[in-house]
Amino acid sequence: MGVLDRKLMRDLVRLWAQVAAIALVMAAGVMTLVLAVGAQRSLFETREAYYERNAFADIFATATRAPERLADDIAAIPGIASVETRIRENAVLDIEDMLEPASGMLVSVPDDGQQVLNQLSMRLGRLPSPGHPAEIVVNEPFANAHGFEPGDTLSAIINGRKRALTIVGVALSPEFIYVVPDLMPDDRRLGVVWMSQTALAAAFDLDGAFNAVSVKLLRGQPPEPVIDEIDRLLEPFGGRGAHDRDDQQSHAFLDAELTQLQAMSYVLPPIFLLVAGFLVNMILSRLIALEREQIGLMKAVGYTGAGVAWHYMKLVIVIALIGVAIGIAAGTYLGRGLTRLYGDFFHFPFLIFRLSLDVYVIAITVSVAAATLGALRSVRAAAALPPAVAMRPPAPARYRRLFGGGLPFISLLPQTTVMIGRNIVRRPLRSLFTSVGIALSVAVLVGSLFSLDAVEEMIDITFFSAERQHATISFVHKLPADALYEVERLPGVMAAEPARMVAARFRNGHLERRLSITGKPAGSNLSRLLDVDRQEVTMPREGVVLTTALADILEIGRGETIEIELMEEHRETVQLPVSAIVESYIGLGAFMEIEALNRLMREGPSISAVHVTTDASQIAALYEAVKNLPMVGSITLQRASVAKFRETMAENLTMMVTIYVALAGIIAFGVVYNGARIQLSEQGRELASLRVLGFTRGEVSWILLGEFAILTVAALPLGWLLGYGMAYSTAEGLATEMFRLPLVIERSTYAWASVVVLVASALSALIVRRRIDRLDLIEVLKTRE
Amino acid sequence: MNAGPIYTVEGVTKVYRTGEVEVRALRGVDIEIGAGEFIVLLGPSGSGKSTLVNILGGLDTATEGKVFFRDEEITGFGDRELTKYRRDHVGFVFQFYNLVPSLTARENVSLVTEIARDPMDPGEALEIAGLPRDRHDHFPAQLSGGEQQRVAIGRAIAKKPEVLLCDEPTGALDSKTGIRVLEALAQVNRDLGTTVLVITHNMAVGRMADRVIHFADGTVARIEENEKREAPASIAW
Ligand SMILES: Nc1ncnc2c1ncn2[C@@H]1O[C@H](COP(=O)(O)OP(=O)(O)O)[C@@H](O)[C@H]1O
Ligand SMILES: [Mg+2]
Repeated sequence: MGVLDRKLMRDLVRLWAQVAAIALVMAAGVMTLVLAVGAQRSLFETREAYYERNAFADIFATATRAPERLADDIAAIPGIASVETRIRENAVLDIEDMLEPASGMLVSVPDDGQQVLNQLSMRLGRLPSPGHPAEIVVNEPFANAHGFEPGDTLSAIINGRKRALTIVGVALSPEFIYVVPDLMPDDRRLGVVWMSQTALAAAFDLDGAFNAVSVKLLRGQPPEPVIDEIDRLLEPFGGRGAHDRDDQQSHAFLDAELTQLQAMSYVLPPIFLLVAGFLVNMILSRLIALEREQIGLMKAVGYTGAGVAWHYMKLVIVIALIGVAIGIAAGTYLGRGLTRLYGDFFHFPFLIFRLSLDVYVIAITVSVAAATLGALRSVRAAAALPPAVAMRPPAPARYRRLFGGGLPFISLLPQTTVMIGRNIVRRPLRSLFTSVGIALSVAVLVGSLFSLDAVEEMIDITFFSAERQHATISFVHKLPADALYEVERLPGVMAAEPARMVAARFRNGHLERRLSITGKPAGSNLSRLLDVDRQEVTMPREGVVLTTALADILEIGRGETIEIELMEEHRETVQLPVSAIVESYIGLGAFMEIEALNRLMREGPSISAVHVTTDASQIAALYEAVKNLPMVGSITLQRASVAKFRETMAENLTMMVTIYVALAGIIAFGVVYNGARIQLSEQGRELASLRVLGFTRGEVSWILLGEFAILTVAALPLGWLLGYGMAYSTAEGLATEMFRLPLVIERSTYAWASVVVLVASALSALIVRRRIDRLDLIEVLKTRE
Repeated sequence: MNAGPIYTVEGVTKVYRTGEVEVRALRGVDIEIGAGEFIVLLGPSGSGKSTLVNILGGLDTATEGKVFFRDEEITGFGDRELTKYRRDHVGFVFQFYNLVPSLTARENVSLVTEIARDPMDPGEALEIAGLPRDRHDHFPAQLSGGEQQRVAIGRAIAKKPEVLLCDEPTGALDSKTGIRVLEALAQVNRDLGTTVLVITHNMAVGRMADRVIHFADGTVARIEENEKREAPASIAW
């Protein structure tokens, strides 16, 4: 090791606290990068491998009743690798340990157990054996939520008949990595139930027929032409439109999560690296200013400018590498944890951890580059110092009078305050960057914690302003309007409102979307429509109402005409005016007045679901009644789901808040601590002189720390603004057809973000304050700067 | 003017410990300094002059012995009391002027007058210290060494301290400028009655003092009393 390298080591040791602060900021950036990319890739790989091993289908379609022979016609479509026909229905499940009814998704498996597509990964037990119609396999999360094992039993209302079923197996499926019963996840309340094809066909009168089909495409085959062809074939049999994976709930939800992880790896790391680069710049320009004479000496004895530059660059690179090492270690460790967490939340039979070596390389390159860029200016200056100049002390710092001395009130300010002002103004760039750095820390908090506000707002609007029903009872088939009275008479039902759902295809020019039209009565009081300002919209008697998300997708506005292809019964295509646009954060929606919809279908008054509010004291009786009501196909319990969702949120909340508070704290701490230390190094002599003159420790500390107090306070509004921007882009980036975050930031979020940053700044100030208290009064009097 | 001693120093020693090494900077000092006196401290480098003055000024604490400021024993003070003592009673002038670079000459003086009990006007203090009026609004970087030292003196006297402690105030100045600074100190002593203690290497400076205290090896070697104080202008070096 050369002498210069020994000096470098000693510099690092001497400056350890500042080196650590900068390295931590870098580490935070690298950690988020490695964590996000690592988890994203691991999840992606896991999903791809799972899809591959279990032959997850590419296209899905449903119909009312299609003859089995149609399978051959579908298989004959060019570009198709394999086809599997199935029966899919819904059921109400009656489970012993649960008061409320659960929803069951019934899916058929071939009698011979030879699944071609969407194969099950058996976790326990076996597939149903042919000739045993009561045997079922349930999905693992549902089984775990109830402690089910093979041999356990449950009841289900299947097509109006209550049946006792026996669990023979527990499984996972690539089709149901993520399933939600009522828009909110609740493993207890949603079971996927696999039964033998024959048993389901018998239950739903579908002998020799199917109502669902999955298709795997040949590699490289685009889905669109195949979808069109399948639609054409299924049309006479009540086809409701085929769709690819993008519209498959489990796949789409997982995709949204992967996108979010990716966004995290784009947004956060640059912020940390920017701040780290700035800190490197500060610390190095100070170090070089202090070592002018040494630099002059090095040059005088024959070191080249490049040699000197390299010496300081090495210091910076070592700091960056320390940060990268911590960041990679933490990111890899936490990335595994996060992947495992996702693995629990989503349901995979296995997890693949991807070590992203390329990300490590990127992290090293980017961090070293950020540090080097930060150091460039001062290192160049050091390299350019002529030896003679370097050996002379620097000219005393020049100060300007604030506002050219023209403001009379400045002479009224205490001199200590004037000192603070002049110091801020003397280094405008440094002051600006310090404020921006602190602001970024506020922004990280506002931009991340806002999602709690947004989710709360979404819940509030969706479940307490718009969908105010406590539960929705859906029927197996549409029923005459009288069914409403039957539901009204159930125990515990306080209010009831009908709804009618009709599958349809919406078209505007070449833009097209498949979704149900929901019919609601004009004066509906439970399931309501709200405009963008949250004001109730009365259902117009004419035309169709679209949600903003759907209107955006179809690029259509109020008053324009939309083409709707009704995909049930008469399968007519009609032109309707868009009579209103309403807001909704979950899914896409289209609404009509229920009688108008029935007229459009050329049917008498019919309904397919009833929204109810319930009397909590009679809820048990209501649940009992619903479990035994043959006409009920499924039940959605909005209130119960919201409660469960809030519970889950609260669990994740602590972790999320901790992580972001730590990240923001690292930035604020790094910026203020380094800034104050450098300031102390520059002003220490001055401050000690003031102590000699009789200034107290508190007064002297204020001169230095007051500057940071002012810069921190000035940073808050900027931080709020940047945070709003981050929240905006987060909300935009996360918006999917299924789910959108309203851009709502509560004042308390701004306040908490500010408090966290103020506390972090105050803490770093306190640490520096201890050094100010220990200033050596006599030392400064002996030596010249 | 002589209203009893302003400082009474009794058996003061000072030991610096840096790791294994022990330096005995003061080995038992006993002196009395009268109010209004002009004292010059002479002695070789390292003999303990600065250490004594720092203890008198409340910047440092004695290892043993007692120091009284009038009737108060400052050797018993804690940091808070020492700070108050410096703020209220003592003015300092150092070899390196220790001005605040971000404040103008006048503001450097105001810095002290703002926290003093009964200060004079900053402009007046600068005038007494001999800084021309047109320099009062200059920043330290725009002043010469002698001018900076006069700002330092102005700052030290502006609060009308009872004592003015000066550690080699002319050490960094050429002789002509140095004499002007000494003249300013003499004027303060004469006109304001401030007790002045000046450390110097320069034997000649002793001639303008009431008493010259010779220091050697951490103790007082001898004390010389001048019959007649000479004007600084007549001192040559
Ligand atoms: N902070 C300190 N730590 C250790 N030794 C010191 C310290 N300050 C002064 N000394 C030592 O004390 C002795 C007296 O110093 P000082 O009072 O500065 O002498 P003078 O002012 O007469 O030149 C010297 O030997 C010096 O090295
Ligand atoms: Mg000395």
